[in-house]
Amino acid sequence: MTQAVLSISGLHAAVEGKEILKGVDLEVKQGEIHALMGPNGSGKSTLAYTLMGHPKYVVTGGSATFGGTDLLPLTADARARLGLFLCFQYPTAIPGVSTVNFLRAALRAQGKEMPAREFLNRLSTEMKELKIDESFRSRYINDGFSGGEKKRMEILQLAMLRPKLAILDETDSGLDVDALRTVADGVMRLCGPDMGVLVITHYPRILEHLHPDRVHVLHDGRVVTSGGADLARQIEREGYEPILGTAAAATA
Amino acid sequence: MTTPLADSPAAALGQEVAAARAEASPAWLAARRRIAWDAYEAIPMPSSQRDEDWRRTDISALHPERFTPIEGVDTAVVDAMRAQRDSAAPKAAFAIDSPVATPIEGADTLHAQGIIVTSLEEAAMVHPELVQRALAAVRVDESKFIALWNAMWRGGVFVYVPQGVEALVPVWIAHPAGGDDRAVFPSTVVVLDEGSSLTVIDAYASPVGLAALFSDAMVILAAGRDARLDYNTVQQWGEGVWHVAVQRTVLDANAKLRFMGVTLGARLQKVWWEVILDGVGSEADVLGICFGDGTQHFDHQSLQAHVGAETRSNLLLKVAVRDRARSVYGGMIDVAPTAVHADGYVANRNLLLSQGAKADSIPRLEIRANDVKCGHGATAGHIDSDQRFYLMARGVPPEEASSLIVRGFMDDVLDRVPHRGFAELAGALLDAEIAGGSGAGVAAEAG
Repeated sequence: MTQAVLSISGLHAAVEGKEILKGVDLEVKQGEIHALMGPNGSGKSTLAYTLMGHPKYVVTGGSATFGGTDLLPLTADARARLGLFLCFQYPTAIPGVSTVNFLRAALRAQGKEMPAREFLNRLSTEMKELKIDESFRSRYINDGFSGGEKKRMEILQLAMLRPKLAILDETDSGLDVDALRTVADGVMRLCGPDMGVLVITHYPRILEHLHPDRVHVLHDGRVVTSGGADLARQIEREGYEPILGTAAAATA
Repeated sequence: MTTPLADSPAAALGQEVAAARAEASPAWLAARRRIAWDAYEAIPMPSSQRDEDWRRTDISALHPERFTPIEGVDTAVVDAMRAQRDSAAPKAAFAIDSPVATPIEGADTLHAQGIIVTSLEEAAMVHPELVQRALAAVRVDESKFIALWNAMWRGGVFVYVPQGVEALVPVWIAHPAGGDDRAVFPSTVVVLDEGSSLTVIDAYASPVGLAALFSDAMVILAAGRDARLDYNTVQQWGEGVWHVAVQRTVLDANAKLRFMGVTLGARLQKVWWEVILDGVGSEADVLGICFGDGTQHFDHQSLQAHVGAETRSNLLLKVAVRDRARSVYGGMIDVAPTAVHADGYVANRNLLLSQGAKADSIPRLEIRANDVKCGHGATAGHIDSDQRFYLMARGVPPEEASSLIVRGFMDDVLDRVPHRGFAELAGALLDAEIAGGSGAGVAAEAG
């Protein structure tokens, strides 16, 4: 029997006093690919930040465990060390901190340090896979990067850190078709029994590459319906309205 | 430890010492010293109440007459400074600024190139015309502290690079100090003749601790036509030291200065980083970093004086202050009517690491020429919480995330320093400071 990596139950969270998540239930098993869809403002990114432990997002109820450990009392760094990874929608630039130094600090913090030569070889291989120029090694992390470069850099970190579960927060937004394929291929290469993915998106396009096991629709801070890959196709064809209409009717 | 001069009784700063200094100097210098002492006595101590330049830097607790000039060097401090040279620039000649005649170490290469590396005192006797020309860059009575320096300095280090000679190794100048209630007058004079080039590392250090010392320092750098000077300086005084310094460079036509200043130590410092872009087409890149904690007070004043046409200057000072440390910065770009097409920029960035830390920044432009490009920028802020969260989301603990951000803030400057060995030394000293140790003072083994 496969164990749940991430288990969320009745999760409520608020940002600046405003409740955004209103009882999210979600379970992702070891190695599975889940998609979380929903229109703008449904709370998708809030869920991502809340799970990662951003101090601005305050949990007001419910629970979230990761590999059986209660996530909620932990700071973001402790959550990352458990094996949770957030692919940021808007990665932050840190001038003065080179990509190499940044990755080494992260690997060291996670107890995944490796000899310098092995590190550089792996970095080189992963950068080639993601079509990232060698010069980015010594560039300051995300500083002056284009939108696409930032997203590829997020996947590079994912590839180097190999978490148990990666949350991709609208990683597809702002990418052209080729960049989207590179990023999606990168994720697919990493997915497997050791790494599951929770893809947050409001476009079904990326799901054509990622083939999710489960698709969930978030609306007004709750998961209103879940299904297989065909649910994403239905959304592609008909939009959210029919689903949300049904959900609204069901709640009523 | 300290090597006393047998025939030189310790006397506090005053008329008696000034007279002795003049007595021991060649005639031209003796005259200069007498004028300087008179000027020192005539000029009142700067006051934060009366003097606009000193408004944010209070030295009412500094009484120069309570300090006694050092008569030797603290060998433990010198050893610690030499060790820094060994790691950062092992080939560099090592010159110790000492009141006692001290041989220059490892200067064979430079001497073979015809480069003069000697004490300023010696040079004043043997090469008076070179020294006089350099000292002309600073008026004897420009200020209370300049006058005092002129009256009191001893030892010092003098470097002269002849025309067209590119120095094969750097010169590492050590200005050590030790003891308690002692005064030092660190002196560096560097003259580059036409088309020559040199790298200098100018280091100030005293033992870790709160011993009260007073440093009144002077640096005069003169770069001739087409000369290139890389000047790096690190101030690592212990936390009981008062440090006042003028570091002035004069650039002839097409001369280039690359200046890097690292400020870590002292109880209070006020330094002037001044570049006179005298010659047509001269250029200066001035970089600086400063890290302070406890109750340290740092005052940096910079001047980019554009005199020649087509001159270019760029200054960036980054400061991080923690606890109740305070930074004051005043930067001036002064463009003379002759400096057409001058291009100057001055920026000061401050990172406040504690609620009690403070940074004031006043960059100014004074433009009296047409068709120039000049600008300034100043910022002060706390560690960015998004940057910290981003690092934490990769598993980095919060304290380490902050350290990385501070180091990154500084690395943005260190990465531009041409002398990598010096940049690495500065980075290592910075890491020690950030980690809560002290960059103030060198860990000198007692005995």
